Amino acid sequence: MGYFTDTARALATTMRNVFRTPVTVEFPKVIRPRAVRYRASFALPDDENGEVACIGCLACERICPSRVIKMRTTGKRDSPVTGKKRNYVDEFVLDLSACIQCELCIQVCNSDAITMVREPEVPSFEREDLVLDLTKLRANAHEKTASWGRGTILQEMQEAPKAAKPAPKKVAPAAVPAAEVAPAEAAPLEKEPA
Amino acid sequence: MNGLLHGAVYGAVIASALLSVIAVGIWFERKFAGRMQSRLGPTMTGPVGLLQPVADVIKLLQKEDIVPRDADRHLFDLAPVLAVLCSLGTAAVIPFSPEVIASDLDVGVVYVLGIGGLMVIPTFMAGWASNNKFSLLGGMRAIAQSVSYGVPLVLAVLVPVTLSGTLSISGIVAWQSAHHWTAVWPVIPGLPAFVLFFMAMLAESNRIPFDIPEAESELVAGITTEYTGAKFTLFYMGEYVHTLVGSALGAALFFGGWDGPFRPGLHWMVAKTLLLFAVVYWVRWSLLRFRSDQLMDICWKWLTPIGVGLVLLAAAWVTFGGAG
Repeated sequence: MGYFTDTARALATTMRNVFRTPVTVEFPKVIRPRAVRYRASFALPDDENGEVACIGCLACERICPSRVIKMRTTGKRDSPVTGKKRNYVDEFVLDLSACIQCELCIQVCNSDAITMVREPEVPSFEREDLVLDLTKLRANAHEKTASWGRGTILQEMQEAPKAAKPAPKKVAPAAVPAAEVAPAEAAPLEKEPA
Repeated sequence: MNGLLHGAVYGAVIASALLSVIAVGIWFERKFAGRMQSRLGPTMTGPVGLLQPVADVIKLLQKEDIVPRDADRHLFDLAPVLAVLCSLGTAAVIPFSPEVIASDLDVGVVYVLGIGGLMVIPTFMAGWASNNKFSLLGGMRAIAQSVSYGVPLVLAVLVPVTLSGTLSISGIVAWQSAHHWTAVWPVIPGLPAFVLFFMAMLAESNRIPFDIPEAESELVAGITTEYTGAKFTLFYMGEYVHTLVGSALGAALFFGGWDGPFRPGLHWMVAKTLLLFAVVYWVRWSLLRFRSDQLMDICWKWLTPIGVGLVLLAAAWVTFGGAG
């Protein structure tokens, strides 16, 4: 008997759908709003002096699970802006076609020198177009919106919560309506367990 | 000679009309299926995707015609042609109006069941000739299913035949328009007989939820696994024709065929056929596939005894009263 009621329910469900507005949209014409942490491509932003912030420490190259980052650095030299000695990256190649968008390279960067950008789809007709070199990555930093995640923010999230001391402080912000706190920035910090 | 000419002309007209309806039917199915799943369906090809069947056929015809090395070449080529012929052949005795009928056979019901039952031969032929285990399994399942479901199909069709006392389909329709539609009165053998007919018809044309001969999850594509391009298109078309003719037969036997007020008979028949056609797709996109053993269970333990009971009820109705 259950079979007959289930059949009737299945038929009713599909018929109800026929008279409802479809939930899908015609993608290239209509683009839904992206999630807060949406990210696609990469950028190498400048530091406060207007130079490329990356010091070629190889941290991102080492952690990359799909090994799509290759960089070369020639060691310290004088900065033309500040005159101080610092490391420079001379070659930086990121193969977006094999990237799995895991954001690990962003997380390990201590100098916030690599970020992801909120560029929508990055299709291309040539594979070479997906291989990002230093020029393209720096251009991305100037032309495209950076995504939410940066090395220092993400590392702070990973830290163990400071015992007892911040706890009484957190009581007051909790009373603030949730809508006033930017959801992506506030929520994960507080939910982080020990 | 006049009858032969009449048959040739009307047969050609009805066959081409059916094939044109199928072109629109493909679009309708895809659009309807999309809406049932809260999707849009085809939108890019022509206005509201109306040219989708054209795109589909062009795509299918462009495909390479592959014949497996160990296949039985002649049977392999013959099967799709026979599949279309068998399904189109059943359309010959369907009365679309008192005049629009290719051949008004006295034993139309027997003819339809016979030719419709022949469908199992090209199906198994395809399964055998492909020389592929999935195809062969599909073909064997098709035989088991068609032979089993032929029984409830015949029993269901016997109800209108018993009530009207004729084997001619146009005779049955004429009786219905003089008395009452089979599915409406007497309700007890009539409406269940239609449900029985509908289920058996779905099973005979291998449609979901009775599509175990080509169960994708088990048999790749069953009998059509090795078919590509134009030959696959023929199978595809044969399936649609079979469904459409089955719907027309259901409309004629149980819903009074051309009978209806205000409009010419042809309009009513076409409307009823298309409505049943739509219901087939509604069922198709709503239900899940049966398992092989469930299928046999339903047929032999439920549909067949119920069918026998319905025929007896119809006979009692005719003998003891009701029928005028």
